[in-house]
Amino acid sequence: MVPHWRRRLPLLLLSLLCPSFASAHSFENTAIVRTIDLGGSLVHVTTTYAVKALEDGAGVYTLALAERELKRTSWLEAKIKGQQNILAMESAGFDGESGVYLFSVELPETLRTNGTANLVVEAIETHATYPWPEEAGQKDGQSLKYETDLFVVSPYKTSVERIKIKSPSPNILSYSTPEGLDEFTMEIPVTKSGATITYGPFSNIPATADATFLKPKQKEVAVHYNYDHPVIEVTELKRSAEISHWGANLNIEDKIHLHNAGPKLKGHFSRLEHQASTFLGRMPPHVLPSLTLHLPPNIRSPYYYDLIGNVSTSHLRVGHLPAQQSSLLEVRPRYPLMGGWNYSFTLGWDSPLADYAGYDKSTGKYVIGVPLMTLVPGAVVGDAEVTIILPEGATDVDFFPPFTPIQSYVKTHVTYLDTVGRPAIILEYKDLTTKHAGTVYVMYKVPLSAHLKKPLAVATAFMGLFVLGFAVRRMDVRIQKK
Amino acid sequence: MSDHQAIAARHAALPAFSPSVPAGLLPYLAFLLLTATFALAFYFSTLPKDKIPIREAAVASLASVLGGVGVVALFCTAGVYL
Repeated sequence: MVPHWRRRLPLLLLSLLCPSFASAHSFENTAIVRTIDLGGSLVHVTTTYAVKALEDGAGVYTLALAERELKRTSWLEAKIKGQQNILAMESAGFDGESGVYLFSVELPETLRTNGTANLVVEAIETHATYPWPEEAGQKDGQSLKYETDLFVVSPYKTSVERIKIKSPSPNILSYSTPEGLDEFTMEIPVTKSGATITYGPFSNIPATADATFLKPKQKEVAVHYNYDHPVIEVTELKRSAEISHWGANLNIEDKIHLHNAGPKLKGHFSRLEHQASTFLGRMPPHVLPSLTLHLPPNIRSPYYYDLIGNVSTSHLRVGHLPAQQSSLLEVRPRYPLMGGWNYSFTLGWDSPLADYAGYDKSTGKYVIGVPLMTLVPGAVVGDAEVTIILPEGATDVDFFPPFTPIQSYVKTHVTYLDTVGRPAIILEYKDLTTKHAGTVYVMYKVPLSAHLKKPLAVATAFMGLFVLGFAVRRMDVRIQKK
Repeated sequence: MSDHQAIAARHAALPAFSPSVPAGLLPYLAFLLLTATFALAFYFSTLPKDKIPIREAAVASLASVLGGVGVVALFCTAGVYL
């Protein structure tokens, strides 16, 4: 998971002082409401905790995530309900026995005894759904299955808890009805209303973040629902942003590997059937005929090609600031993507460098903000590698990614008319979601001497030719001397 | 990530990048400089062969420098942004 947490030193010290598995401060959850918005490759989980402090000066709330939950979570953010500030969150340990991971969240104000706060924790899960049935014919529908643990894992007692699962369409094929919940509710544990399934309300739940609760009492629920849009995954994304000071240009090139993570195509692909459904406007839900991407405004010279060559089936409407914030590119792959199919392509464009970079006269440094990725709507990006190629001779390079990468390093990239090569910053990420579309900022210096290296290199080559000419003129190659 | 927010704010406040040579002028610059290089190279070929080749060296150096900048401008005009 790519953590979107702000790390703060005091919290680290606090967790060192309180190494016990139980939370740093004492709280009680008066109410928990978890809303799970089901989607294709991304599932949005929003949990609202109404907390009550049980001691004075309670300022650190502990969140818990079970192992499967943590593995699937790509984005975790905590806020106070109604406020915009993201709360500082830090990893607070792992309990081997119960397999629960803890996170400490720093509340903006410490609470007195019986003081309350409403915490909203947003998480995005990736690779959480799978197609069921796993194979489907060309004209068949598409349904996905989502499995999750029922009770919200928390190291505090909970008075009331509700879990709501919202499906994108009211067509829910089945959902599980857990048994053995008489301890927590006297009524039917699950109700369905339209596209929402509500589990609960459950009352008087003890601290769930330990093995004595999880092993015997945690239930697993599954929802099987119809999904009317293709489930897209970008298995690999390689973005390369090349900065040119001579041409005042930023070239961004994306190498995208698309995968349709829907049910695998059963039988063969019938072009006739596909043409008929396109003509009638009734495309089956798991087929991806085209993709709409939002690119930055004011772009020029876009190119779209794949292994075979240029792909002409695309349409770009360039957006011009300030009226339009983005350019719209409708991309039609060479073939429609059926379930389980892949398509890789390269997409690139040039944009004016003035839109992205600025110059700080006081330090003599350039600052550029490069967007991390092109948002493919609703898709999870499996492996992402972002390369930022700086001009030749750039020094004092400093980069600030929006999220900590898995790996980052600087290497030398050699391209046209380079003598010593250019520094290239490479950032590697995994499991990026639509929320991870941030900007990487890079600060660097390019002295005038480095800037003039290129014309000097070409001038030297020309001079070499002139020296050759000079030598040739003085050679006597006549066969007969006069 | 307050680091990131700080630099984002700084980035938004800075004046935009402007190249030392305006990008719109590059095609014309390329044409002029390369024409000059060609003319000087021709002139170089007509120069008399002196013992101490000061004139030849001067013309060759000037032609090389103009050619250097001209080729870089040509690359940028052609879309290969260096």
